[in-house]
Amino acid sequence: MDARALTKVFERGRRTWIQRLRREPDHRERFVAVDGIELRVEQGEIFGMLGPNGAGKTTTMRILATLLLPTSGAARVLGIDVREQPREVRRRFGAVLSGERSLYWKLTARENLEYFAALYHLPPRRTRERIESVLDAVKLTDRADDYVERYSMGMRQRLVLARALLPDPPLLLLDEPTVGLDPQAARDMRERVLELRSEGKTVLLTTHYMEEADQLCDRVAIIDHGRIVALDTPTALKRTIQAEEVVRLEIAAEADGVVSRLSENAQVARQERADGLLHLTMHTVSARDFVPRAFDAARAAGATIKHVEVVPVTLEDVFLALTGRALRE
Amino acid sequence: MLLLELRAFGAAAVREWRQLRRYPTFGLGLLFWPIVLPAMYVLQARGYSGGDQRAIDAFAERSGTNEIAGFLFIGWSMYMWLSIVLWGPGTLLRTEQVRGSLEALFLTPASRIGILFGPAVAHLVPALWMYVVVGIALRFGFGLVVEPAAVLRAAVVILLAVPALYGMGALFATLVLRVGEVVGPIQVVRGVFTVLCGITFPIVILPDLARSAALALPPTYIIADLRAVLLTGADLVDLVPDLAILLGAGVVLCALAAVAFRRAEAYARRGGRLAQY
Ligand SMILES: Nc1ncnc2c1ncn2[C@@H]1O[C@H](COP(=O)(O)OP(=O)(O)OP(=O)(O)O)[C@@H](O)[C@H]1O
Ligand SMILES: [Mg+2]
Repeated sequence: MDARALTKVFERGRRTWIQRLRREPDHRERFVAVDGIELRVEQGEIFGMLGPNGAGKTTTMRILATLLLPTSGAARVLGIDVREQPREVRRRFGAVLSGERSLYWKLTARENLEYFAALYHLPPRRTRERIESVLDAVKLTDRADDYVERYSMGMRQRLVLARALLPDPPLLLLDEPTVGLDPQAARDMRERVLELRSEGKTVLLTTHYMEEADQLCDRVAIIDHGRIVALDTPTALKRTIQAEEVVRLEIAAEADGVVSRLSENAQVARQERADGLLHLTMHTVSARDFVPRAFDAARAAGATIKHVEVVPVTLEDVFLALTGRALRE
Repeated sequence: MLLLELRAFGAAAVREWRQLRRYPTFGLGLLFWPIVLPAMYVLQARGYSGGDQRAIDAFAERSGTNEIAGFLFIGWSMYMWLSIVLWGPGTLLRTEQVRGSLEALFLTPASRIGILFGPAVAHLVPALWMYVVVGIALRFGFGLVVEPAAVLRAAVVILLAVPALYGMGALFATLVLRVGEVVGPIQVVRGVFTVLCGITFPIVILPDLARSAALALPPTYIIADLRAVLLTGADLVDLVPDLAILLGAGVVLCALAAVAFRRAEAYARRGGRLAQY
């Protein structure tokens, strides 16, 4: 699957009929949600799009899923153009896009699947066997004849995945598959996704949980403001920051000098004042060397370090280094 | 391929029916209003005419029949059927949109026609049930006897009217994709149909302008032709011009709806409106 210079521009606000009739110039504000995305997902890999709220992950996904037309650029799914032959594309992927609301709550899981099996044009002879197999894959067999309204959130999300698996598609598009799930259910879902890869399926997923992207994905595209700011394996991405470890410091101080003193020994990735404290995120090669020096530097500047935390480098830090902002802002 | 599309269409009908069936009490309303509403008009007509033969003759002269009860019941039954096929697809599409299932449907390769009209078919089951009830009420409450052959002819009229009605239904569904809420336009059109199409009166009594407008609306023909075959014993041959108009309107409306629906879908895909409401 690949995307070339994919761009989506939304218009905000309304254009009234009167404006249209008078052919007045269009004053609507244009908003670039996806700005020239280039990516190529190889067969059999789990590819993740990681980015903060509003980065354009879902929009990209919906273009690939034929629900949105791109403003410009092209995307092909298994070699078929999403704009030219949307119906052919729809035959070839399963998607978890709009979440649990997209189910019929007044029907049972099995009835939901029966309906979608027909819409996916499964041959009648294979339908029953497929339904049993996808129910089994998401471990819902024993609750298959319960109404969906009586399901938990996690079960509904699993049923949505089962529905996406119905046509046995080579490609799966999963938009935030674990959002809103409790830790256990989220772990289950991630295991399902790994199983899919072992069955040879290609998975494209979005998330704003960096741990998820790190654990699950073979390759990750970090997206911000509709652009890919980095794309590589999680390990390679983490290697791009010149640091082995991340040290978080909370310092009680007025003096600004402390920051410059500290930066002699490590790289300041981020600084922020909150609750009367200075919060610093430092990237360093060795925390063991840096921490004692940090205390010396603080003392010299007349400041006190209230709290020290040493953590391994995560994709969050990569994002921070690339954009200067935290993922969850 | 066509077979698979038909199956998708059938599955949409079955799905809707399963949901309907979960609320068995809805059938009760269907027993009540189809009888009470026209019965009220029959009583009103009797009250105004005072049972005077001259009044009945005057009615017969304008409408071609003196079966006032039959006349009104057919009008209202048609009105209810129109409600199902005209606003049905649009309203159901809107329900899917608000519920959030519309996108999931549009993700499948199934033809949009099946998705659109399949569910409306499920609503024909209660409609049929309604006609049986109305038939029984007419037979035993008002002593109207209709021959089986006439019922068959009525079925042919209804069948020939299907393209026109479904074409209009699809146009409403298009409006849903375009503007979201359609309650307003539906109210307006419903009002126009109620006044112009002769649901409770023969359209000859309308002023010239209104009558010309009525003759431009397919439901006018359906109602008039049904009355003709059921009440005055007209043969289908007598109705050929009317039926040709109906069928022609059907072809035009369906073609129009197909174009409009495709454009509305493209519009929705440009603005991401499938999931918005
Ligand atoms: N149909 C639409 N019309 C107008 N603007 C839209 C539409 N859909 C999305 N947007 C805008 O496009 C931007 C990107 O949205 P998108 O849903 O792709 O973000 P996201 O990366 O999925 O974020 P999140 O992590 O919150 O799901 C947002 O600013 C959003 O407001
Ligand atoms: Mg999103």
